[in-house]
Formats: sequence, C-alpha cells, structure tokens
Amino acid sequence: MNDLGELSLTGSRPRADTARLAIAGDLDHTNADQLTKAVEELLGEHGAVRWLRLDCAGLQFCDSYGLASLLMVRRLVTAASAELHLDNRARALERLLVVTHTVEYLTGACDDRETEPREARPGPLPENSSEGGT
Amino acid sequence: MSVVRASASEPTPTTDTPRDAGGAAALTVSPSGLVLEARQSAAALLPQLRAGEPLAQVVPWLAPAHDAACGRAEAPGPVCDVVDGRAVDARPVRHGDGSITWWLIDVTVVRSLRDELRLEQARASFLAEASAALLGSLNVLRCIEISADLAASRLADAALVIAPETRGRCQVASAVTGTRTARTVLRRIDTEQLPGLAEALQGFPPVPSRWIDPALAPAWLAPDGFGEIGSVVVTPLPGHGVPAGALVLLRRAGSGPFSEGEETTAREFATRAGLAMSAARMFADQASITDTLMRELLPPTLQHLHGVEFAGGYRPSQDHERVGGDFYDVHPAVEGSGGTLAVLGDVCGKGLEAAVFTGKIRSALQALLPLAEDHPRLLRLLNDALITDAHARFVTMVLASVTRRGADIRLRLTCAGHPPPLIIRADGRVEEAATHGTLIGALPSIESTTFTTALAPGETCLLYTDGITEAQGGPLGRDMFGEDRLRRVAAECAGMPAEAVVERVQMVAAQWAGRNSHDDMAVMAVTAPHTHHLAAVDGRGPGRFTA
Repeated sequence: MNDLGELSLTGSRPRADTARLAIAGDLDHTNADQLTKAVEELLGEHGAVRWLRLDCAGLQFCDSYGLASLLMVRRLVTAASAELHLDNRARALERLLVVTHTVEYLTGACDDRETEPREARPGPLPENSSEGGT
Repeated sequence: MSVVRASASEPTPTTDTPRDAGGAAALTVSPSGLVLEARQSAAALLPQLRAGEPLAQVVPWLAPAHDAACGRAEAPGPVCDVVDGRAVDARPVRHGDGSITWWLIDVTVVRSLRDELRLEQARASFLAEASAALLGSLNVLRCIEISADLAASRLADAALVIAPETRGRCQVASAVTGTRTARTVLRRIDTEQLPGLAEALQGFPPVPSRWIDPALAPAWLAPDGFGEIGSVVVTPLPGHGVPAGALVLLRRAGSGPFSEGEETTAREFATRAGLAMSAARMFADQASITDTLMRELLPPTLQHLHGVEFAGGYRPSQDHERVGGDFYDVHPAVEGSGGTLAVLGDVCGKGLEAAVFTGKIRSALQALLPLAEDHPRLLRLLNDALITDAHARFVTMVLASVTRRGADIRLRLTCAGHPPPLIIRADGRVEEAATHGTLIGALPSIESTTFTTALAPGETCLLYTDGITEAQGGPLGRDMFGEDRLRRVAAECAGMPAEAVVERVQMVAAQWAGRNSHDDMAVMAVTAPHTHHLAAVDGRGPGRFTA
C-alpha cells in the first residue's frame, strides 16, 4: 500500500487448494483489468484451486470499473469450479456491494467478514503469507 | 629541404631554427618589405613568390599586414586571405633583427569543413525551430499554414502546401518569402498538371527539381505577383501511415536550382511537417467523433411535462474524456408506460466506451418504454439485453414513473444498484426512498423492489449519481461530500422549484470538490409545482387545479 494509491496485487498459495490475492491501493478504470489478469494467472497456474481469497484489507478505493472487474473475477472463479471470498472488506467496499446488490453474488450466501473458520472451509490464513509478486 | 635564398640581402639572412623549422610553408620578410627567404612549399602556395623581391609585388595581400606588423611594437596577429581559390592563414613570428617570418597554412579544407558545419548547424536549428512551431498547433489549417510559412522562410522563394483531396478539392496554402503569413484556399486542382504532384500526394518518393520543367508548371502554382518560376521541387509530406499532402517549393527564374543539400533539408522538413499535419488531422477526426457523440449522448434539457417539474444538471468529470458515464432522460407517457418515465443512470467506465454503452442503454430503455408500468420486469428485460460474456460492465440506475393526481404527484421509484433518491418534503424533512435492486448488465439474474410515494405541491424527489456524494474536497481536501451533507443541502431546498434544487445541489457539490478532479455528477429533480386552487371548486376537495 502507498499514498499514491497505486494498485498492487500480491498472490500467494497458503494451502494446496487455496489461492490468495492481496489487493492494495486503488482499483479503478485505469488498472482494474490487472486484477482479472492476475486471477486468471492464479487459477491457471495452480490446478485444483478450490478457494480464491481476495484480501481487500489494503483496498483504498474501488470505482464502478473496479466492481466490474470483481464481478468478472467471480465469473472466472465459478468457471474454474472454485469459490470466491472477499476478506477484510472495508466499509466503503461493503457499501458499494450493498447498494449494487452484489454481496451475495460475489461472496456466495456466506458472510466472509467473519474470520472464524468453519467446517469445510479453508481455515484462517497465516499472517505473513505473502510471497511472490503480482 | 630546399630553400630559395635571396642573393642580395640586408640584414644577412640567418638560418636559426624558427626560420628553418619544417612542416608548413614560410617566408621571411625584412622590415623594409623585401622577401629574404622562402621555402619551396611556400612557392607552391604562392607561385609568383621570389626571394629578394619586394613583398608588395609578389604577395600584395600580405604587404599591408607586414607593414602594420613592422610599425608596431606589440606581437603581430595572424591574417588570412583567399589565394587562387585556396584559403591561406598567415601567422607572423618576429625575429630579433626586426624581420618577420610569415608561416603560411593552407586552411582550405578546414574552412570548407567549418562552412559545412555552419550550414549543418543552420539546417539543424531550422529543423528544430520548425518542429517546435509545428508541434504548437493541433489545428489542421494552422499546421498547413505554418508549414508553408516555414518552408518559404528558409527553403525557397515561395512554398505551397497541398493537402490530400477531399471531395474533389484540395486545401492549398501558399506563402511567399518576405510576406507575412500563408493564405489557404480550397480549390479544385488537377494534380496531373504538375509532374510528381499526384505521386507525392499518394506518398511516392520526391521528384528532384531538375526533373520538373518550370514551363510545365500550371498557372495556379505561382502565387500572385511571383513572376517567372525558375525551379520547382515537389516533396511528399509523409503522415502516420498515410500521406499528409505535398510540399511544393518554387524559386524564381535566376535564383538557381535547388542543390542536393537543399533538397535533403526540404525532405527532412517535409517529414516533420507531414507528421504534424497528420497528428492534427487525427486529432480533428477524434474531436469530431467526440462532438458527434456528445451531441447524441449529452443529457437533454428538461422542462415541465404534464404539470410536473423536471430539471436535470450534468457536470462531466474534468478528466480528458469529455463524454461521461452519467445520463438522464425523461420519456413522456405512452400507452402502458404508467406515466412519465424519468431515468437517471451511471454507466461503469469512462470515455468513448462508456459513451457507446450509454447510448445502447438509452435506446434499449426507449424501446422498453411500453413496459414501464412494471419496473422490475423492465429492468429484467434490460439486464437480459445488456448481459454479455465478454465483460462485466454494468449500469446502475433509478427509474421514476410520474403521474399527476390532482395537485399531488404519484411517484413510483425503483433503484437498480443505484443510491436511492431523496424525497424532500415541504416541511424540510428528507426521506430516503426505500427502494433497492441489483445493478444491470453483469449478473445473470437480478431483483428489485419498487417504492411508491406521493409528492405534495412544493415537494421534490432528488435523483443523483455517486459523483455527487463521492466528490472529494472540503476544508481538508480529502473528505467525501457524503450523503449526510447532501441530505442537509436537500433539506435547505424544501419548497424550491426543480431547477433551483438542481442548481443548488450542483453548486454546493462543485464548491466542495473545489479544484479536485471529480467523477461525473448528474442530478435530476422531479417536483410537484405549487398550485393555486380554482375558486370555482371551493378550494378543498380533490379536483381542479392550475399548475
């Protein structure tokens, strides 16, 4: 994360069946395509990803184009027979998803704001799981 | 080394080292101007040189310098002259006996190199100046005229820049050296009349001047009062992939033809001029596309319709894209539409792509108008029409169906992924319309709920896009305008006419954003006008009113 809001995407593989992508900075019309590309790569290079967790803790701003790319990510994840989770959503992002009625679509019926692990879901991620670049 | 020695000499010629030092030509001259000795090589450079003869006779151009050098105490300086087409530098060395040895150096090659360098520098500075002048304008006509002016100022006695033919006519800018500026005319020309012109306009290699017989030049080529044409060069102006036109350089009879170097310079200039003209033309094309789209896509001017006040305001983002993603429309009631349908929406994305998407949505909505009685159904149909596998771009919008019921207005509002409208009551209360729904165009299935309310005279329904609430600014420069502030501004607008509400909201949000860049801001107000009861119907029950 930085003051300029430049987008940074950090992919990692905390578990064999789970891919994680940390989004930091601003996600807008100038760079949102990078997100779909990064997800495509993550899903492509690791076969058998069952869960994709987007860590939105560092996401400072998301415009409508950013939301469109999140919706596209959901399509890609579904096409790969995986599940999408949006972790650590800030209030602004939460609001955007609520106003546009996309919370359920993007996150399934489950409430991903809970950090409690549940049965049949991937457990909490180790704190410093970041490795590898964008 | 052989030395031509003077037979009779005063003072006695010496043979000390400076006079004998090898290399360059040298001649030693006595204070009285007699050549004491001269080397053979000096004789080669100055064939009439004889030792023992007066300098004024054998090397007249050096005599004045020698006399001057002898008459002064200080060290003499060098002189130079051109002898039989060779440039010669003469550098004096004074000896103890007052005689001076003039070292003669043939500097012809150095001189010509220096002259070439000077020419090259002049050429480079002209091309740099031309580039700077040409880059300064993105106006096609201006670019053509600047090119003609520059060419006439340095390359020829007159210059014509001819743009490629459009609809049978060419733009021709002509400039004459010494006159102030080029003039452009649109004329029908037969490009075959001037050899090489048709080819140059198609981007073929230039035709050297000697190939064109000036007698063949058509009459229109020479500017008024130019006189007889002596030589002509036609050079293509290469553009970005397509020819940008042709440059024709003219010289008067008697000025001599164009040299090879001048033609090269002309070609290099033509490259720059062509690129500049081509860039200007591309910009003009783009601007005209944008203007056309703008005319088609800009929100309409709203007015009162069926006794309801509609007002809209749109403030596009100050970013480079002039066409934004916000839109609004008011469609008069048609059969099945369930009243007048007002729509305000926000398309995901920016620029041309967003503009085209907006156009698509507006046409689709127009076609779906007869189904506007049922908002959720209309939105479902619109969603089906817009969804595509290629991308997940979407639109968020509010539908407002408006019907007049006596003095009141019946309002049905449905949001699709859009911030809910605000209802400004007559007493200053501001309510949020309880409607919500899914954005349109990205999800396979959508849902929405409709909110119905009534507006009493003076009450307003305010529809807005998030460009208003998300405008960043304020005293600290980084705060969002936000919904609370919008509600406060709305409350102050109670009882105002629709136009005034729109003006007020836009003004406050714009002031908040200040100089910060902001997203598109669109606002629409639907207001029930204040009415006067007709005296004839006792002024109570529902019935006759005037707007």
